[in-house]
Amino acid sequence: MNVTRQNIDDLVLLTIVDKDANLSKSENFKEIVFKEIESGTRKLIISFEHVEYLDSSFLGALVSILKSLVPKKGKLILIELNNDITNLFELTRLDKIFDLRNSLETALEEFK
Amino acid sequence: MNTLPITITLEIPNNPDKISEYTRTILSSIQEHMALDIGYQRRIKLIMIELMTNSIKHTTEKNTIIEMTIDYLHLSIQKIEKGLKIQFSASSPQLPFEELDKILNVSFSEANKHHIQPLSEFKFKFLKPCEEDDMTIDQIPEHFGLYIITMASDSFVYQYNPELGENSFIVHLNF
Repeated sequence: MNVTRQNIDDLVLLTIVDKDANLSKSENFKEIVFKEIESGTRKLIISFEHVEYLDSSFLGALVSILKSLVPKKGKLILIELNNDITNLFELTRLDKIFDLRNSLETALEEFK
Repeated sequence: MNTLPITITLEIPNNPDKISEYTRTILSSIQEHMALDIGYQRRIKLIMIELMTNSIKHTTEKNTIIEMTIDYLHLSIQKIEKGLKIQFSASSPQLPFEELDKILNVSFSEANKHHIQPLSEFKFKFLKPCEEDDMTIDQIPEHFGLYIITMASDSFVYQYNPELGENSFIVHLNF
């Protein structure tokens, strides 16, 4: 899984570079983020700017990440989801569980 | 345009990275026969992606096929694969069902639970959860494939044919 990492003050921005967030990448992505959490990151933004579609396996990985972060008083914001992916979150009602934002700017505002 | 209904038989790719492109091709094929608004296009894409992902995850047989029937008022998508019948976790009711007149709660694991309505001994319908069933972070499942198909379709039915040893996942969309 191709992911870029950027520190912004005390938070970490992970940007998924692949177009497909799917079964072949979900486990690897989960490992990358779990390592990030284990290393002490508690404020996390994941950008889907380049992602065209997301399947159930990747959705499961995101839930697993959120379940790991919440008990540690961490916060996760997902940004730049296209209409198809936003629709998937709404269909599964996970839009009520995850914090979805349009842009990095609005996510950073939330962390202030 | 051909006269409807028409049935198209598709093979399932064995590589998850080919699913997205394959789904776009299927959607284009459907749109050669009928116009679809963006809502239906999204629902069909989700259903196809999850049927194919489910097959790649759980089926070792290479003879899994998808049969798609396009008609004026509905679209039927059926995934057919050889193999053992669906098996729920030990605490769940199993096929063949003895009672057909009540809704059952079944699970494949702690993080993969479903409400189903038996339709016959070897056939059941996945039911959509109630709107008021609010989820907390601890209750959220981590397996969404069958749930996505249930939510994106108008009807999602599983059927097992014991004589043929064949599993069918049958999805209907009404227009």
